[in-house]
Amino acid sequence: MTFSAWISEPINWIFLLVGLVVLASGFRVVTAKNVVHAALLLVAALAGTAGLFLMLAAEFVAWVLVLVYIGAVIVLFLFGIMITRAPTGQDEGLDSEKKVVPALLSVGVFVLMAWGSIDAFGTTLVGATGDPISTELIGESLLGRFVIPFEVVSFVLLAALIGSITLARKDLTPIEEEEGRRV
Amino acid sequence: MTFTIDYLALAPELVIVGTLLVVFTLDMVLTRPKKFWIATAAVAGTALAAIPLVILGVQGETRSMFDGSYVVDEFALVLKGLFIVAAYLVLLMSHHYIESERYYQGEYYFLLLASVLGSLVMASSRDLIILFIGLELTTAPLFLLTGWRKGDAKSNEASLKYFILGVLSTAILLYGMSFLYGLTGEITFSGLAEATAGRGDEPAMVMAILFVIVGFGFKIAAVPFHFWAPDTYEGAPTPITAYLSVNSKIAGFVALLLMLYIALPGVSEVWAPALWILAALSMTVGNLSALRQTNIVRLLAYSSVAQAGFMLVPFAAAAVVGADLEEAFAATVVYLAIYAVMNLGAFAVVIAGARKTRSGELSAWAGLAQVDSRLGVLVAVFFFSLAGIPPLAGWFAKFAMFRSVMIAGGTTTVVLAVIAAVNAVIALYYYAKVVKTVWVDDPTGEFVEDVEAAPAVSLRLALWVSLALTVAIGFFPALVTFVGDASRVIAVGG
Amino acid sequence: MIVSAGYYMALAAALFVIGALGMLLRRNVLVMFMCIELMLNAVNLTLISAGRALNDLNGQVAVFFILVVAAAEVVVGLAIIVAIFRRRSTASIDELSELRG
Repeated sequence: MTFSAWISEPINWIFLLVGLVVLASGFRVVTAKNVVHAALLLVAALAGTAGLFLMLAAEFVAWVLVLVYIGAVIVLFLFGIMITRAPTGQDEGLDSEKKVVPALLSVGVFVLMAWGSIDAFGTTLVGATGDPISTELIGESLLGRFVIPFEVVSFVLLAALIGSITLARKDLTPIEEEEGRRV
Repeated sequence: MTFTIDYLALAPELVIVGTLLVVFTLDMVLTRPKKFWIATAAVAGTALAAIPLVILGVQGETRSMFDGSYVVDEFALVLKGLFIVAAYLVLLMSHHYIESERYYQGEYYFLLLASVLGSLVMASSRDLIILFIGLELTTAPLFLLTGWRKGDAKSNEASLKYFILGVLSTAILLYGMSFLYGLTGEITFSGLAEATAGRGDEPAMVMAILFVIVGFGFKIAAVPFHFWAPDTYEGAPTPITAYLSVNSKIAGFVALLLMLYIALPGVSEVWAPALWILAALSMTVGNLSALRQTNIVRLLAYSSVAQAGFMLVPFAAAAVVGADLEEAFAATVVYLAIYAVMNLGAFAVVIAGARKTRSGELSAWAGLAQVDSRLGVLVAVFFFSLAGIPPLAGWFAKFAMFRSVMIAGGTTTVVLAVIAAVNAVIALYYYAKVVKTVWVDDPTGEFVEDVEAAPAVSLRLALWVSLALTVAIGFFPALVTFVGDASRVIAVGG
Repeated sequence: MIVSAGYYMALAAALFVIGALGMLLRRNVLVMFMCIELMLNAVNLTLISAGRALNDLNGQVAVFFILVVAAAEVVVGLAIIVAIFRRRSTASIDELSELRG
């Protein structure tokens, strides 16, 4: 397919636009000097990815991404920045001295990965076959075929919750403890 | 489609889940002086989980659920048994350690048992999603437990380092897995084995496998992905270090074994050379770094890196055309079982010794045997076993490893065997140095000599169990050969 | 005409590498966590596009699990950072140097 034929399709315009937004904001997350800006740019990157998920007809996970990440995880990040009193204005940005070698390495890895992807999937058209997977099917399989990981993952959440509270809480002094509060 | 759940096959996991909830409830109800009941419940629950394992083992039939994605066969049972015995020993070691300092006890046991649950699930997993979730449940609580000594900056940083590298390795692993899925459309191991066979020349496939190996390389702390291990081991509470170096490492190896031998046996020409390099580097770098250590925990950390190298050696044997993959698989499993017992023993000795020396520095341990000869004997037993000296258990592990290589033959594998042999000699030097320090050198400082410094009953029990196993396996290797035989049944595509 | 799955995957590869580059270059722990999120997001995009190309359910299920686990891990990571900040106040990993080598 020639480039002019490819670019004349509106859907490809949208793909290019959203893809550029995701990449640009992802790159800015990495380079932003201000930690709060990095967190907000992460929102843009995640929202763009959710848009791509929608284009790939994966609506359930797209909305999970929006609700859980943009709604909760980013807020958690902002709280983290606040609690840790991280420097918000004067962070040095890309602060490691050695930049050239990792950058070249990454570009090399990227070329290999992209080549591998296009080599294997370049001719596979998305959505060429069948109807999109419905949310109903996902729900059924989560409580059917995937019920074991579904139950186990709840323990991951429970352990993370309990452990994090314990690790992050302020320890009581022995006197406070004697006053009746338990540790 | 409807699926039925085989509750007997899930019984060990369900017992651990029940114990988790009991521990959690007890922690909310009990006041501090009565907290020892939590530890008791955790130990009892873990022991109880062994009963359904034995029942399932006696029945001896393979139980498969959910399209063959969750399988309880002899291999899974043997590994679950190993995880439970190791967890039992770690719990015994933890009890007095956690109680004697101001730690949060209930949450500690809760997280430790959650990690055990993850490893049990993983041993049965036969698809990518369950494997991933099991591995995450095994490691996620450990990020937190590593930082459990909140007041200590070393512990804080150890957990941060472990967390960042743990999550990074998960991302790399998942990227590899997502490609495997994309290339084959399969997530079960049996499906992957069929769909990947003979596709080792596709660039995307090679890339996917390399990503998976790098991801696991971090989890098992193989060189060059080992740099988190010594710092994390040193900073974590010592029972957690024991758990990290045994259960968590075994969990990584089990995942690697399942992925490579069961899901990807058809492309062994891709992964075997990569593991050859990892094995040679891990053994050499691990041992040479261990030579320079003056802290006993860091020494054990590098020693466990080197031991991981020995365990990887049989994987490389799979590169030989027509090699007996089952033999290699069984050799690694036998090594894992023996390593678990003797390494836990070594850490129990370190915990017991540190109560007397109040230090992890090797110089403070000089002459320890002169005041406590029993402890001295234990140091000698476990460290010589790690070195592989007969008649202690470690020799059979090394024997099984060398035998698998020799059966496979082939020039490259023999070269690796030579590297392994040289490394076994280097390792002997630093293990013997520890024993010499404890027995021959003159004390440099005072030892703590009061009732408090004596090992607690639970710690003594842990020492006795690991001592008995180490010596018994050394004299009667038949005790662990069934471990290898059990895994032989399932190895390589069923 | 529709975009081929390979382009989505190449985009995911770029996102993954950007995240990895951030892990290598940035020393601020919070930004490093964000880079991990970018990398996991790239994995998710790969899975979704593979699942769409194969018209298979399992890709989306895997993404669901990865999202849950990643959210749990952010919580764990922030708890670890808070524990560290109770003792000192820096967000740079270079200043955490009790353990070296």
